[in-house]
Amino acid sequence: MIEPILILQMIEAIPIQLMIIFAGLLATVSFIGLNAILLVYLERKVAGFIHRRPGPYEVGPHGILQPFADGLKLVGKQIFTPTGADSFLYWLAPMISMAPALVCFLVIPFGPHLQIFNTNVGMVLILAFTGINVLALCIAGWTSQNKYSLLGAARDISQSVAYEIPLLLSILPIIFMTGTFNLFDIAMKQGSWPWQWFIVYQPLAFIIFFICALAETNRAPFDLPEAESELTAGFHTEYSGMGFALFFLSEYAYMVIAACVTAVLFLGGFHGPGVSGWWWFLAKVYILLLIMIWIRWTFPRVRFDQLLNICWKWLIPLAVINLLVTLLVIAL
Amino acid sequence: MDNLASENLAWVVLFGHIAIIVAGGFITVLSESLVRALMGLILTLFGVAGLFFLMAAPFIGLMQILIYVGAVSVLIFFAIMLTNAWPGGDESGNISGKKVIFAALAAIAPAVFLGSAAIRTAPPSVFVPEETQVSELGKFLLEPYILPFELISLLLTVAMAGAVILGFERRKKK
Repeated sequence: MIEPILILQMIEAIPIQLMIIFAGLLATVSFIGLNAILLVYLERKVAGFIHRRPGPYEVGPHGILQPFADGLKLVGKQIFTPTGADSFLYWLAPMISMAPALVCFLVIPFGPHLQIFNTNVGMVLILAFTGINVLALCIAGWTSQNKYSLLGAARDISQSVAYEIPLLLSILPIIFMTGTFNLFDIAMKQGSWPWQWFIVYQPLAFIIFFICALAETNRAPFDLPEAESELTAGFHTEYSGMGFALFFLSEYAYMVIAACVTAVLFLGGFHGPGVSGWWWFLAKVYILLLIMIWIRWTFPRVRFDQLLNICWKWLIPLAVINLLVTLLVIAL
Repeated sequence: MDNLASENLAWVVLFGHIAIIVAGGFITVLSESLVRALMGLILTLFGVAGLFFLMAAPFIGLMQILIYVGAVSVLIFFAIMLTNAWPGGDESGNISGKKVIFAALAAIAPAVFLGSAAIRTAPPSVFVPEETQVSELGKFLLEPYILPFELISLLLTVAMAGAVILGFERRKKK
């Protein structure tokens, strides 16, 4: 039996920063969940609008309860492991996909006073932890014992490895201009009005970054790892119930992270005309997310050779030239 | 009392990391499936990244995750996927005792040499580590250590060019 006072002392010994991170992780989980509910609804409604049909309409007024119905269905489904699969690794994969997304939200400055953990290496942290997602997709594809899953995983590796390079090269000009990896400081270096944001100084870097972000989050037109018309569902073909739901959640979480980073780096973060705050940040993030959804339902999927040609023949040279010009201007 | 509690917590965190690293190493060596071995390796790399965080070097720790977990282990995974190696392969038979002893010696030797060298020449440790700014790190690499830094980049360029040339030669033969 441990005395209650001893437990209290042990709790007091835990540093306050650790407590803040723990509370922040809880807040992040609920934020990701709410975003996923909203984005599922938005995605289906926008898709319906573009296809000239009403979209989900039956569950609740204008179908607003549809995401909840989807969620309940996924929770109720049977958990199923394919024969011959390494079941430990098979169920580890969706968790590895989800966990890094939680960490990335810790360093994003949502508002002037709304950031869970202000660190000098925020940008590097997001790059490092979003890179782990590739590994999760590989494990999922490999352990599924299914050729479609394996093909999806192989496609994902070549796509992610290729697009990581122009992604980093398009972030570097911003890092050189601000001289910091701290996301809060990068946001603070930009003014309230749109012409004071970095998108005006770095339009090319913004376009390259946005294309690469689409490719890294496996969004259409770069959704080759899960191309439903070619590979059934790609790397998550075999997953059912919550395993599939976790992959789904993490995909939406990475989309939100990509939109948040774009907003901080290029669109002034939480700054806006009038009073700056988290409302501007959320507005920008949601405009970017709507653009992502719009692109998904507008463009056809690229072919694999086109995907690699866009990256190696266009994005990387353009990003290098952009970086060199930026360096020249800064040096002068 | 408060000081003692935080010191105990520090020891727990340190040995927790060491336990993760050692466990990852054993998984890597002992598991039959190549993918599980790779998972062990990744666990070890994460543990080492955690040690960098403990020493107040978050930039190095994140670079460890970005490069080793995000890139190197993904490439190893790609190689494993291409070979299609399953646990019942050629090398899964019984191993002779002699081989086990040699393997253990080969594993311990670098640990002993590096460990003794590190203990003998270690700078005096500080109780609370100080975080080095990334900009200072960059100046440190580009001012006193510019020659080794550039040599490493030359080495990488040579390796990359060599890989490209090898790839082209393979294609010509077909």
